[in-house]
Amino acid sequence: MRYSTGTAIAAFVLAAAFPAAASAEWTKTWVVEWNEPAMYYGAKSGVIDPGTDCPKGTNPDIDWVQIMVNAGYTREEATWLRNPANPTRSPVHGQNQMAFRGKDRANVYINPTSTPDPGLTPVSGTTGEGVDLDGNTKNGFTGLGGEKGIDNNFYRTLGCWKTYRGPQRLSSGALQFNDAMRNGSWTTVIVATGKGADPMNDKDVKVGFYMSADKIVKDGNGGVALDYTFRIKPDAKYEALYTARTQNGVIASTAPSDVMLRDPSYSQDLDLLRARISLKMKPDGSLQGYVGGYRAWAPVYKGWVDARGPVIEALTWVQLPGVYYALQRNADFSPTGPAGEKTHISYAMRVDALPAFVMTPDGGKQVTEIASYKASAPPPSKPSATTFTVIDGLVPDRNAKVQAGPTAIILPPTVAPTSAGQ
Amino acid sequence: MSLRFNRRSLMRGLLGGAGVCVGLPALDTFLNGNGTAYAEGAKLPTRFGTYFWGLGLTDTPTGGTRWVPKTTGAGYEITPELASLKSVKDKVSVFSGFRVIGDGRPNLVHWSGHASILTGIAPAGSTKFDGPTFDTKIADAIGGGTRFKVLDVDASVSRKPVSYSTRTGNSFATSETTPLALYERIFGEGFQDPNSDNWKPDPSIMLRQSVLSAITEQRQSLMANVGKADQVKLDQYFTSLREMENQLAIGLQKPEKCEACVVPPPPKEPHRSASVDVVNANTKAMAKMLAMAMACNQTKVFNFVHTAGSSETYIAGDSKIYHQITHDEPTDAKLGYQPMTSKIAGMVMQAFGDFLVEMDAIKEGDGTLLDHSLIMGFSDTGYAKIHAIENIPMFLAGGANGKHKAGQHIAAKGESVTRISLTAQQLVGAPVGEFGAGGMKTSRPITEVMA
Amino acid sequence: MATKAGLVCATLAITALLGAATFTTTTPSPVWAQASTPLAPVKVGVRRITETQYRHTIADVFGADIKINARFEPEKREDGLLAVGSSHLSLTASGFEQYFALASSISEQALAEPRRATTVTCAPKDVRKTDEACARQFVGRYGQQLFRRPLSEAETAARLKTASVGTQQSGDFYAGIKLALTSLLMDPDFVFRMETAEADPANPRAYRLDGYSKASRISYLLWDTTPDAELLAAASSGDIHTSAGLHKQLDRLVASPRFEDGARAFFADMLQLDGFDNLIKDPATYPKFNQAIADSAKEQTLKTTIDLLVSKKRDYRDLFSSNETFINRYLASVYKVPYSSSNEWAPYTFSESSERAGILTQVSFLSLFAHPAGSSPTRRGVKVHEIFMCEPTPEPPADVDFSKVQDSSKGTVRGRLLDHMENTGCTACHRRSDPPGLALEHFDGLGQLRTMENGARIDVSADLDGKKFEGAQGLAKYLRDDPKIPACLVRNVYAYGVGRPTDERDEDYIADQTAAFASSGYVLPSLMAQIASSPEFFKPVIPRLASPSAAAKPL
Repeated sequence: MRYSTGTAIAAFVLAAAFPAAASAEWTKTWVVEWNEPAMYYGAKSGVIDPGTDCPKGTNPDIDWVQIMVNAGYTREEATWLRNPANPTRSPVHGQNQMAFRGKDRANVYINPTSTPDPGLTPVSGTTGEGVDLDGNTKNGFTGLGGEKGIDNNFYRTLGCWKTYRGPQRLSSGALQFNDAMRNGSWTTVIVATGKGADPMNDKDVKVGFYMSADKIVKDGNGGVALDYTFRIKPDAKYEALYTARTQNGVIASTAPSDVMLRDPSYSQDLDLLRARISLKMKPDGSLQGYVGGYRAWAPVYKGWVDARGPVIEALTWVQLPGVYYALQRNADFSPTGPAGEKTHISYAMRVDALPAFVMTPDGGKQVTEIASYKASAPPPSKPSATTFTVIDGLVPDRNAKVQAGPTAIILPPTVAPTSAGQ
Repeated sequence: MSLRFNRRSLMRGLLGGAGVCVGLPALDTFLNGNGTAYAEGAKLPTRFGTYFWGLGLTDTPTGGTRWVPKTTGAGYEITPELASLKSVKDKVSVFSGFRVIGDGRPNLVHWSGHASILTGIAPAGSTKFDGPTFDTKIADAIGGGTRFKVLDVDASVSRKPVSYSTRTGNSFATSETTPLALYERIFGEGFQDPNSDNWKPDPSIMLRQSVLSAITEQRQSLMANVGKADQVKLDQYFTSLREMENQLAIGLQKPEKCEACVVPPPPKEPHRSASVDVVNANTKAMAKMLAMAMACNQTKVFNFVHTAGSSETYIAGDSKIYHQITHDEPTDAKLGYQPMTSKIAGMVMQAFGDFLVEMDAIKEGDGTLLDHSLIMGFSDTGYAKIHAIENIPMFLAGGANGKHKAGQHIAAKGESVTRISLTAQQLVGAPVGEFGAGGMKTSRPITEVMA
Repeated sequence: MATKAGLVCATLAITALLGAATFTTTTPSPVWAQASTPLAPVKVGVRRITETQYRHTIADVFGADIKINARFEPEKREDGLLAVGSSHLSLTASGFEQYFALASSISEQALAEPRRATTVTCAPKDVRKTDEACARQFVGRYGQQLFRRPLSEAETAARLKTASVGTQQSGDFYAGIKLALTSLLMDPDFVFRMETAEADPANPRAYRLDGYSKASRISYLLWDTTPDAELLAAASSGDIHTSAGLHKQLDRLVASPRFEDGARAFFADMLQLDGFDNLIKDPATYPKFNQAIADSAKEQTLKTTIDLLVSKKRDYRDLFSSNETFINRYLASVYKVPYSSSNEWAPYTFSESSERAGILTQVSFLSLFAHPAGSSPTRRGVKVHEIFMCEPTPEPPADVDFSKVQDSSKGTVRGRLLDHMENTGCTACHRRSDPPGLALEHFDGLGQLRTMENGARIDVSADLDGKKFEGAQGLAKYLRDDPKIPACLVRNVYAYGVGRPTDERDEDYIADQTAAFASSGYVLPSLMAQIASSPEFFKPVIPRLASPSAAAKPL
C-alpha cells in the first residue's frame, strides 16, 4: 500500500529538493479558478441521473418517518416530528430531534456508532479520476485517458451521494464553494519552475501551491479574468510543494509530498499525505488536472456534522451515520504503517487554473523559485465564525420552550390542542 | 403660480379634447351615451410618439427590396423584413418610395434623412438641425395637462444619450437611457398614483414653486442685454423651467382615476451592451413603461430611439458592427441581396413590432392604448449600403382615436417625406396646414389614410 | 423680429443701434454711436458649467463631503472641444428636473443640523421666524460665491421673499433659507457662466470684459472651479485689470496644487476621455473589459499626462514618446504585465519590446477609438489628426460606390482597408486618415498587444504625406517632429479658455503663441499662463443683441 520510498526518506527528499534555490530556466504561474473533488459522473445528462457510476442514480430520498420509527419512536411521534409545527423544528436549522435516534436516544451525529450502519450506496463503476498514489496499477479506477490504478476511495465511497454527484462544475457542493472563492473569499495560486530548456519536457520541475490575499477578478462573461497579479501571502497551514517532471506538457510528481490545501468545503483544511499532482499545461496557457493524496476521513465527517446534521440530512438525502461507517470501511491508508488504524482515505481534487502573475509576498518581484513561506507566516487564524453556533451537529434555539434531546417530550399534551408549542 | 385652465379652455384650446383621465372631473352631461367621448364628438386624449431606428431597411442594387410590400392599399402582404409587424398589421400603415429633396444641399450621411423628416428642412451641417422638430409642435399642441409634456427615451446604449427632438436645432433633448432610469423618472419620486385613495396635496410643492418664482421674477433682467444666440439658450432654460412649474401645478390637483393604470414593478437592469439582443430587450422593457406612463396619464407625447442614425449595434460576439456590414457585405449572387444585412434589419425591426405590441396590450376604454395613439416609425436612410435618402421606410401605427385609416401600404415614388410628417401632425389634431421648406414644402397630407 | 420702428422706440437706444450692426470682433464701437452716451454692459457669454466644474464649485463653496448624486446633462463636442460645444447648450426639461433635485439635495445637506453652524455664520433671533438680517447675510455670501459676482438688490430681495414664504409655512428659519439656497443653485447665473462686457474706462467707446468675468475665465481655465475669494477681491478692486494684478493672480493659480484640477479638466476634454462614460465592448471578444478597466484607463492617461506636463514640466512632445506611465492592478492585466506594488497606483516604465511608448499606445486611446469587437485604424487615424493636429476629417460623401468594395474575411484589417483605398471615392480622405491608425494595428480593440492576425504577422508600416514610418514608435517620432502638434495644443488651450471655435482670424495670434510656447521648452503651465495673460484671451465678442421687445416678453 505504501509507495516505495518510506515516509522518512520522502521527507529527506523533500528537504533536499528545496534548498535556497538559484533561479530556474523557466517559470509558469497560474491562479486556481475552479477546484472540486474529482467525482467522475457516469450518466449522459442531468445531475442525478443513473449512469455507469451509480446505476440507480444518486442516493435516494429517505423516508424519515420510517427511520424514526426504526429508532424507536412511535409512528405518531415520528409523523409529528416531520411536521413543521413541532417546536423543536426550525425552518432554517431543521428538526433537531432527528439527532437523537441512536441507542438510548443517543445523538447519532456525534456518536454515529450508536445506531446500526444504514448503508450508503457506493460507486460501482470502474472509471474514476485522480492519481495513482500507491504505485499499484491493479487496484483503483481506470482514468479518463485509460490510466490504470487511480486511487480514489473517497469517490468510491461518496460518489453517489447527492451533494457530490454531478458533471464537472455542476454538483451542488462544488458550485456553492467555488462561487464563494471566485467572488473573493480566498485565492490559491500555482507556481511551476524548471531547470530545463523546454517546459513541456523537463526532468527537474518544482511546483508550489500558495495562498494569496488578492481577490480573483471576474471578467465580462462571468468567468475568471486572465493575467491578473497575485502576491503570495505566507500561510502557516496552506502551502503545498512538489517535486515533479513534465512530459508532453503534463506535470507529474516524481515523489510524494505531505501538503495542506484550502479545501472548497465546510471543513477548510485539506491535508493530504503522500500527495501527488498530475496537471496538464494546455496550449491556451491554462492548467488542468488533479491533486491526489490520502486525507483524514474523520474531519470530513465532522465537517458535515458541523454544517448542521438535520439540514445536511434533509437536503442531501443521506443518513450521516451511514457516511461515517462507509468512510471507515473504505479508508485505505494508515500513516503509522500497515498495522495501524486506517485513518486516511485516498482522494483527488480537480484543479483548473488560468494564467496569472504571481509575486513575492512583498509584491516586489515575480516569483521564480519554489520555496516555503511558512516560517514568515502569522499564526493560523480561526475560521471565520458563522452567524450561528453549531453544537453537536445542532443549532439549539435558546428561546424554545422545548429542547430536543434524549428525554424530550415529542407530542404536545392532549389537553389543550391550541396551545401546542406557543 | 398655478396653471390656469377651465372647462372653456379645455374645450377650445387643448386639441384632442379632454378625456376621462384629465384634471377636471367629467360631468356626465358632457359625455355621450356610451361614456366614451364628450358630446361634441371630441375623443379620448390622443397620444403621439416617434419611433426611430438607424440604418433603414434593405433594398437591392437591381431595384428590388426586402421590405416594400408588393401590393398597395389595404391588406398588404408581410415581407421578410416586416415580419415583426404581422400581429398588428391592421393597425400599421406602410409608406414606401418617399424621399428627401435636398435642393442641392449635400446628403449628410446618417443625418439628412431624419433631419428632413422631423424638421422639413434638409440640414446644412451634420451636428445640428435647421429648425425645430415637429414633435415639439405636437407636444405644445396636445401635451398639456399631464405631468410631463414629453418623454424622451433611448434604448441604444450609445456613448451619449441620443435624441432627435429639438426646439432650437442646436441642442437636443436628454433621453432616459436605461429601463430603470425611465422607471425612476415616471414612477419614482413625484409620481402620484391616480388610482390611489389616499391622495393629499403635498405642501412641499408650493415651497418648490416659490423657489422657481424667485428666478422667474428675474427673467426680464436676465434677458436684458443678451445676444441673440444666448437668448435662445436662456429661452430654452425658461421653457424647461415652465415645464417644471407645470409639473408642480399638476401635482397640486387630485388626479382622476385611470382604469388602465397599474404601477409596474421596477425593472431589472440588463448587462450593459449595445448588441442587438440587449437593445431589443431594452426596447421591450421601455415600451412597457412608456405605455403604462400614458395609461396613467403621465404624458401624452414621447420620442423613442432604438438605435442612432449611425447605429453601433452588432450581433453579440461578432467583430463587425451592423453599420460596417451594411457597407462591406457584398450582394449575394444567388439571393440578390445582402443576407447578413437583411437578417440584422429583421432583428432591428423585431423591436418595432414588440414596441407596438406593448402599446396594443393595454386595454383602454373601448379599445387599446394603440388605438388611441399615433406612432410614427422612421429611419435615417433607405438602402443603407449607399446612404440612400430615397425610399426611406416610414410607418404610421395606431388608430389616432379613429382618425387613422390604418393597415394600408401607400407607395409614392419620389414624393417628399414631409407629406407623412404633415399627415401625422394633422392626424393628432395639430393645427398645421403645411410643413417643410423648399422642395419639401407641402400642404398635401396623405388623405388615403385619413378618416 | 421687431420692426425698425420698434427698435427706435426702445428705451435702450444705444443697444438698438448696436443691434443693427453685425458681429464685431474688435472692441471699438460703431462709428455712428453718439460720443457722449456711455456703452451699456452686454452679456457676451452664456456657457453651461460642466459636471466637473459643478462638483468642484460645490466642494469649494460648501465642503468636499457634500454628496452629489445626479445625472448631469450630456455635453456636446464642437470643433473638438466640449468647452466650445457648451456655448450651445442649455437645460432640457428632464435636465432641469435633475438639477432641481440636485440643488435641493445640496441645500438639504449644507443646512443639515451638524454642519449648519459652519454654513450659517449668523444666528436668527427666533429660529421659528424670519430674520431678514441673517437671511440677507446668508444670501449675500453664498450668492456671491455661486454667481461669481455680488448679487443685485433685486436678486437678493427675490430670495429673501422665498425664504420668508418658506419660514412662514414651516415655522423654521432654516427651512426658509434652504429654499433660498436652492433658488440660487438653480439660477441661470449659477448654472451658466455669464460673461459680461462693460465700457472700458481707458477707451469709453470700447468694451472690455468686466473684472468678474475675467476672474471667472482664468479660474475655470486654471483650476476648473469658481473664482476664490482672492480672485473675486482682485476683480472687485479692479486689480485684475492691471498687468501686475493679473500676473499676480496667474502666477498664484499656476503655482498652486489646484492647477492639476484645471489641467486634468482640459486634457479630459481635449483627449475626448468622456467617451469612457459609456464605453461598450463585446464581452465575448474582450472579456477583460469592464467599468473598472474603463475608469482605470481614463485615470492612467490623466495621471501620466499631468505627471509629465505639470509635475515634471517636461516638453509637451514627450507625451508621444515617453514610456513612463502609471498603472494599477486592473490595467496590468490588459497590458499583460505583473503589478509589483501594494499601492493602488504605481509608476511603470514599459520595456522596448512591449512596443508601448507614448499616449497613443495607452489603453485609453486604443479602446476609445475602436469598435466594440475589433480595432479600427480609420477611427484611430481620424482621431490622431483631430485631437493632436487640429485637422478634423470631413464626413464621408454619401455617394461613395460601396458596390465595388469586396469584403475579404481573410487577411488582416489592414488588407481590407487598403482595398478600400483603391476606390477613387475613398482615397482622398483615407490616405490621410488611415496611416496613423495602421501604424497602431499591433493593438486590438481593447488595447492589448497582438502581433498576428489570421495567421499572418500584422504589418504596421505606414506612409503619410510622403513620410514613411513603422509601428507605434515610428508614429511617435513622426508626430514629435510635426509642427502642427504644438500649434494644435496652443489652439486648443485658447479655444477651451474662451469657449469659442477658432478661425483664420486667429492664425497670427496662434502662431505667435506657439513661438512663445516653443521658446519656453514646450512647457504646459507656461503656455496656459502665457495665453491667459494675452489681451486676446479677454477680448469680448460683442454679439448681435436680441430685440428689446423679446427681452420684455411676459412669461
